[in-house]
Order: sequence, then C-alpha cells, then structure tokens
Amino acid sequence: MKLLSLVISLTLGFLLLLATADLPDWGDPQSPASIHVSNYYIENSVEQTSVPNFVTSVLADYRGYDTMFETIVIFCAGITVLTILRRSHRQKKKEVRPRPAREGKDLILISAARIIAPMMQIFALYVVAHGHHSPGGGFQGGVILGSSFILLALAYDLETILKRLKERSVIIMSGIGVAIYMGIGMICLFLGGNFLDYSAWSSVLGVSAVEARSHGMLGVEIGVAVTVMYIMFSLYADLSSGGEMDEGL
Amino acid sequence: MIKEQLPILILAVPLLASFAITLFARKSKIAAFALLVGAMGMSFVFAIGVMRQILDTGRVIHYHIGNWQPPFGIELVIDHLNAMVLVLVSGAAFLTAIYSKNTVPAEVPYRFPGEEVPERVPNYYTLYALLVTGLLGIVATGDAFNMFVLLEISALSSYALLALGGGRAYFATFKYLIVGTIGACFYLLGVGYLYIKTGSLNMPDLKVILTSPALAESPTVMIAFMLIITGIWIKMAFFPLHGWLPNAYTYASTTTSCLVAPLMTKVSVYMMIRLMFSVFSAHYIFDRLGWQNGVVWLAAAAILFGSISALGQTNLKRMLCYIIVAEVGYMVGGVWLANADGLIGATYHILSDAMMTLCLFMAVGAVIYKTGDASLYAMRGIFRKMPVTSVVFVIGALAMIGIPPTCGFFSKWYLVSGAIEARHWGFAVALLISSLINAVIFFRIIEIGYFPLFDEQEGEGGHHAHDRAVIAEAPFSMLLPMVLTALSLIAIGLYSNEIITGLVGRTIPAGLL
Repeated sequence: MKLLSLVISLTLGFLLLLATADLPDWGDPQSPASIHVSNYYIENSVEQTSVPNFVTSVLADYRGYDTMFETIVIFCAGITVLTILRRSHRQKKKEVRPRPAREGKDLILISAARIIAPMMQIFALYVVAHGHHSPGGGFQGGVILGSSFILLALAYDLETILKRLKERSVIIMSGIGVAIYMGIGMICLFLGGNFLDYSAWSSVLGVSAVEARSHGMLGVEIGVAVTVMYIMFSLYADLSSGGEMDEGL
Repeated sequence: MIKEQLPILILAVPLLASFAITLFARKSKIAAFALLVGAMGMSFVFAIGVMRQILDTGRVIHYHIGNWQPPFGIELVIDHLNAMVLVLVSGAAFLTAIYSKNTVPAEVPYRFPGEEVPERVPNYYTLYALLVTGLLGIVATGDAFNMFVLLEISALSSYALLALGGGRAYFATFKYLIVGTIGACFYLLGVGYLYIKTGSLNMPDLKVILTSPALAESPTVMIAFMLIITGIWIKMAFFPLHGWLPNAYTYASTTTSCLVAPLMTKVSVYMMIRLMFSVFSAHYIFDRLGWQNGVVWLAAAAILFGSISALGQTNLKRMLCYIIVAEVGYMVGGVWLANADGLIGATYHILSDAMMTLCLFMAVGAVIYKTGDASLYAMRGIFRKMPVTSVVFVIGALAMIGIPPTCGFFSKWYLVSGAIEARHWGFAVALLISSLINAVIFFRIIEIGYFPLFDEQEGEGGHHAHDRAVIAEAPFSMLLPMVLTALSLIAIGLYSNEIITGLVGRTIPAGLL
C-alpha cells in the first residue's frame, strides 16, 4: 500500500513537472492570462464600475456570482460544524473529554485584549468600507472583526462573550449576511436587470448606472463581512468547546 | 420578464429557502419542511419552464449574470442536455423533500443513539437546500471556475448531510471528505492550467481557444485534461476510485441516501460530458489523445466489479451502493465509446438511472423505516405487510435489470448497440453479465419478500402465518413520492423515443455522428 502511494505520488509529480515545462515564462506580459480578459478589466474597471481597485470590481461585480457562492461556502461550513458538533442543552453536564480547567483570569491578557479589540474592530470597518480603493474588502474585514471576538473569548472565556453575542443571533446574523448579498442580487431582477446587475439600482439610489455598481459592490461587501465575522466566531465557539458552548479554551 | 429570468430562478429559489429556513424556521420542524418542499416545487416548475422554452425555440439559452458579456462575466448556458438534467435534479429533490417528512425527524436529531439534539432538523433542511442549489448551479453554469465553486458547495453540504446519519457515518464521511477534497483539488488544478494556457474560464470561449492549432500539441493542456477527468472520476466513484462510496452512502440517514445517491454521481457524469465536449472536443479527446479503448475497459471492469460486489452484500443499502458503482461504469463507458449511440445511451441513462436509484432507495428506506432493519431479511413477508412499497421496489428492480417498458431497458439497448458499433465486445459482454447479475440479486430479494422463510413456515405451520400478517404500510408522505417515482420509470421508458429525439439526441457534439 505504501509502495502504491509512492508510485502514485511520483507519477503525479512527474506529470505536474511535465505540465510546467510548457507554461509561459514567469511574469511574461505576452502570456495568455495577461492578454485575454485581464486587460479588459484593467482598462474598463473605472469607466464601467467607478471602482479604481479592479481586484474588487472583478471579485464583486464581473465575477460577483462566484463570490456570492464563496460566501455561501463559508456559511455552509459554519452550519456544518455547528450541526455536527453541537450538543443538546440537557446533556450539557456530561463531559466527554476532560479539558484542563481555567485557573483564574489573567489581568495582563484581559487589559491588553480590551485595548486591542476595539481598534481591531474599527480597522476592520475601514477595511470593509475602503475595499474599493485599497486592498481589502468583505472577507478580510470580516475575518478581522471575527478575530477580535475570538481574542476576547480567549482573554475572558467563551461564556462571557456568549452572553453578549448570543449563540442564536450568531446563526441568524450569518444567515442575514448571505441574505444581504443574495437580496441585492434578487432586487435587481425586480428593477428590470439581470441577477446581480447592480446598475439596475440606479433608479432607486438616484445615481448613474456606473455609480450604482460601485454602491452595489459596497453593499455585497458588507454582507460578506457580516457572514464571515459571525461564522469565524461560530467556528471558534464550536471547536473550542467541543460543541458544548461552555467556557471554551 | 419572468421568462428571461427563469434560468437564475431555478437555483435562486432553493438558495433563498436555505436562508429562510435559517432565519425563520429555527424552532419549527414543520415550517422548515414546508419551506423546503415549496422551494423545491417552485424550482421544479421553473426548470420545466426552461425546458419548454428550449423545446419550443430550439435555441441555447445564455443568461448573463450581472449583465456582463462573456468571457468577462459569468454566464449560465442551458441547452437540451442540461435542461433535462435540471429537470431531473429539481424533480428528484422535490420528491425526496416530500419523502423527508417522517424520516428526518425520526433519524437526524440523534447525534448518537440516545442523545437527541432537536436543532439538527432545521439545519438539516438548510443544508439540503444548499446541496440542491449546488447541484443545480453545477448543471446550469457555463463557466469552468464557477463549476468548481458550486462543486465545493454541493460537496460540503453533502459531507454534512452524510455525517448527520450519526454513529458510524462520521468516520465514513470523514474518509469521503478527504477523498472528495482531493478530487476537487485535481479539478481546480486542471482548470488552473487551462487558465494559464488560455486566459479564459468561460466554457464556449475555452473551446474556441483550445481548438486552435497552437494548443493542440501542448502537454499542459493534456495534463489539465487528465487532472480534470481524474478529479471528476473521484467525485463520481468510478472504479477503481470508488472506495469512499459504499460506506459513506450506507451509513447515511434514509433521506440523505435518497437525495445524494441518485444525484451526486449523475451530476458528476453530466460534468464529465459537459467538460469533454463543451470545453475540450470530441476530436481532441478521441482522435488526438485516443484513450477511449482503455477507459472503456476500465468501465467494463467497474461494471463487473460493482455487480459482483453487489451480489455478495447482505445489507440492502450497501448492495444498492455497489450497483451505483456498476451504473457509473455504464455511463462512463457509454460516453467513451466515442459514437453517437453510446453517448445517447449514457445521457439517457443519467435520467433513467437517477430515477431507478431514487426509486430503490426510497423503497428500501421505507422498509428500514418500518422494520428498523437494513438487512436482506428485513424484506421477509414484505409483499403482505407493505404492498405498495413492494410494488414500487419491484418496478425499480425491473428497471435496474432492464426489462421493457421500464426506462432501464432503453438505455441498455443504446449502450449495447453503441458497444457493438464500436466493436468493443468486452463492454457489451460486461453489460449483459451485469444485467443477469442484477436479475439474480433482485429476484432473490423478491423471493425473500414473497415467501416466508423456510424455518418460519415449519414453526408456525403454513397458513397460520398468513392469517396473522397485518398490513403495516409506510406513511402517505413516503408512499406518494415513491409511487410517483415508480410511475416516472415507466413514463420515461414509454416516452423514450420523444426524450431521445427531442432532448438527448440534440446534444450529440460534432465529430461523433
């Protein structure tokens, strides 16, 4: 069996090397990937979507349909972990695998976390809102937001944070995040456009069709950020407490 | 207006349902169930609408998402082939959704035997809707990378649904998760190579670029094709890459088996056909690479292996799982026979095999629901106790064996004539042997179901056993979809001519006629 694995790995490695032999040179401006569709995005992004960061415009508009499903992948992962790990409230006391008990609270850790967390959150909001002009966007901002709560949960304990951020609202909010994305796309249908055609929003927002695309992208980025933040926290809460939602790590 | 938006609505409605269940039906099993059934029904109606549109106009539908022209944006491309598969997926998902009313609350809430977590039921329905969305999205899309994203959604949600069988399902699903992820990685790697060589992800655009003479000799394109095909073969459990399937599907809960077993493998077969003929071309694959002979032999091996393994099983679900492995061999072999009859047979078999598998899994599920036993001996006296279920089972079995007028006969007819046309006798013989083995398997079960066991007859003294048998049929919510599925097997068989000339036959790519 080990020998078979070795043969398979070597064959695959050989094939991959063979494939690279034929690839265009690194950074070649004439490679097919640099001359076919990407020039269109670079040249037309500002004109068509009024978003100077064309990574954002490709991600959230030209290929926004992919990004919507990527967000749903995260949502799906969160629901999966929650559904499989979550234990019922009634059998909460039954310990399956003992974890080391926490010993008191660490003053230095808590004080540092209390200072850092709000700054992280403000920075995260900036990353979400400024995704059109600089590197950033919903996924990155959402991860920073989520990790600020994870930091607090590590410094205090999970139960303290769960009092502020209820388990039920975590699930509902992660659903609302993807629903924002989907909703922005679906309303385009009622406004006479195709799915995710943000320019249809221009009549409602009172701006030009190009400007409406930019606003639409901001809207979906916010939806992404909400889902990513809550799912990040939900994954941490489930995994760190083994699905029991007690004090956690 | 709604006519133009139908393609996106087919998959938007299940997706909306999954959010709606999470947001509004967290406390109520019935509300979650109603939302699911409603959404699946609507999706089915929309899919039929799209199919009618295509049958009426005869034109391929291109739906530009975000109103961007391809290849810059993503488009949905629906032709005769995927219109049929869309109707199949949404229809089977609708029937299974109805079927789930009693089975899901009976099986899913139990994390381990005795440990009940009621919140699992609404989450189960959310994941159900996500899985169906993923499958419909794979079928509808015209973009190679978008297909990967949706493959991820369908895979992730199917891991969750399979694991929710509880107990041994966790470990079986974990193995599937590892193998399935490797398969998805292969696919992604292949698409990555294609992108490096072509700069495009849109399928019609890829096809134009890949048929240019400059790329015909490229080893990268060949390896990209190998990676993509291997990835999809892992996903469809094509022999010898099938190892994950029997355990994963056997330990799953009844509803999950009914949903996942017929659809996942069939959608993978669709993916294979779509990528072979709409991204690469029949000329490139069959004339330039010329691997068809080896692949068809592999398919013949898959058929024999699957059928013989099925013969040795005593667990009903595991037996059906091995039959799926054999059926995947039918379809892969049919496609790689490289002629029109083989492809028609394989494509028609996507439809008929999905419905046969659904029918048998539903019938077996009903038996397990009533008896709590999944072994062959659960079928004891089933004709007396559960008359409707057993008739449904017999129809499914006849279709699986390939007896007219059920649909199984017609797909085998085309597959065998394709094999003869290609002069591939090994595949033709494998098909016939597999039909005979299926006959043995199912007649044995029918015999167990019809006659009481010999020792019981002795002990209870003949006619006494007859008097005491009571009808204990499955609930109406299970019988209705079961009967509809069984009827559809006969209908698909009776209308095979219309289906083949109107839908399947229209999708034969140039170079195969």
